[in-house]
Amino acid sequence: MTFLAPHPATVALLLADARLPGGGHAHSASLEPALRGGMAPADVPAWMVGRATTVSLVEAGTAVVTARLLAGAGPVTAADAGGPDDRVDGVVRAWAARTPSPALREASRLLGRGYLRVARTLWPGSAAVRVVARHDAAARRAPGAPHGTGTPPRAVVLGAICAAAGMPPADVVRLTVYDDAQTAASALLKLEPLDPLAPARWVLDACAAAEEHVLRVAACATPEDIPASGAPLTEGWAEAHAHETQRLFRA
Amino acid sequence: MPETTPPVTTQDDARPARALRLGVAGPVGVGKSSLIATVCRALADELRIGVITNDIYTDEDARFLRSAGVLDPERIRAVETGACPHTAIRDDVTANLLAAEDLEQDFAPLDLVIIESGGDNLTATFSPALVDAQIFVLDVAGGGDVARKGGPGIGRADLLVVNKTDLAPYVGVDVEQMVADASAAREGRAVVALSRTDEASVAALRAWLLSVLERFREGVHVAQDPGPMAPHFHADEEGGVLHSHGDGDSDHEHPHEHAHEHAPAH
Repeated sequence: MTFLAPHPATVALLLADARLPGGGHAHSASLEPALRGGMAPADVPAWMVGRATTVSLVEAGTAVVTARLLAGAGPVTAADAGGPDDRVDGVVRAWAARTPSPALREASRLLGRGYLRVARTLWPGSAAVRVVARHDAAARRAPGAPHGTGTPPRAVVLGAICAAAGMPPADVVRLTVYDDAQTAASALLKLEPLDPLAPARWVLDACAAAEEHVLRVAACATPEDIPASGAPLTEGWAEAHAHETQRLFRA
Repeated sequence: MPETTPPVTTQDDARPARALRLGVAGPVGVGKSSLIATVCRALADELRIGVITNDIYTDEDARFLRSAGVLDPERIRAVETGACPHTAIRDDVTANLLAAEDLEQDFAPLDLVIIESGGDNLTATFSPALVDAQIFVLDVAGGGDVARKGGPGIGRADLLVVNKTDLAPYVGVDVEQMVADASAAREGRAVVALSRTDEASVAALRAWLLSVLERFREGVHVAQDPGPMAPHFHADEEGGVLHSHGDGDSDHEHPHEHAHEHAPAH
């Protein structure tokens, strides 16, 4: 019997599709916190380009390195089924160091949990997915242990899926940048009155702005290689938003 | 099956290893939060209960329930739905499912987790992937004709509650007629005409919930999907039948089969 696998490009389309039930619809990619924090709606296009060339590259680099480290992951044996994974731990630490806002880390870990449900259901046989799931379970059992970097964020789970699907690193970067921009664009229509086609243009502009960084981020091989391009204002807005009682979106 | 979702049954027998998950849906303002407060008041002494709210724009429902003083405030959590309350209970249940798992883990063991949908329209129903049973709520002040309009929730939720019956004289609605219309639309499924000030009606709601919980614990309860489709008409040579999906079509026969999966919530 021949097992047919979808083309990696098809998997990228699936992951970029908001209809995939992974919990993403309750998130705004930091847009609601930004608008609540006082950013003018007219600044959204520039803000999207800013994300595509800073924080999105942190996420993309995290996914690329995860995928690279786990691409050769052997089968998980019963003997090591209970412990955390040093490769995943290293990536999670690097990601956390580049994501100073606790609110953003928590939101990303929640998305990671939802993504892990997707990953385990759609790629149950993938060693990379199993390694991340195993690490997640270990982090849940012992949150204060030496490996207490916490559960994997969305970018790490995405990396495992990309390893499972054999997605080229450059496409992992483009997928990450696009998904972030489209999430913000979709949320914008719920938050501000405008022609629904306008933010679609801005998504393409943001992705185009990131293109000059794609190969550099796609070449990341170790946790140290992950870009450290932050966005302090976004971090601050995220913290304030987490304490509000009137929110449409989780973050 | 994802590891984060506890299995429906333990290894030893068919009994569930987690709390019964009960959905409460219905249009805005029909009294869903109030109904949940009533349930908590009637059962908090004998059941360990947690509540998840899905308010559209605020945590108003969660705050209402916390201030009602019927439950430890920490057992009431609000989940954001990105302005799509119907998506959060049907198309992508992730946020609610994770919140239910967290609540059950943080306060283990719980007997009952109630998930309140953000008020939505008549077609919004819970996926059986999220809840084991669901209540659809209408109120007399919304108009006596609403029950006749039907829809998946009115027709096929596990229980239909016609709420605020004490207001009937003030809004000119015949409660008995409204309940009769609802019962006809539901082909005999359970209907409770409720007022939180009418003890007999609260007792009926309580008895229904306990009976569902008992069946759930015995492992014989099967989650039903009210489905997105309204009952519809099949023309045939005998003059046609009104056909309702999502239940056993035992009282009539027609030549084509409808395959429906009624997977239990997990």
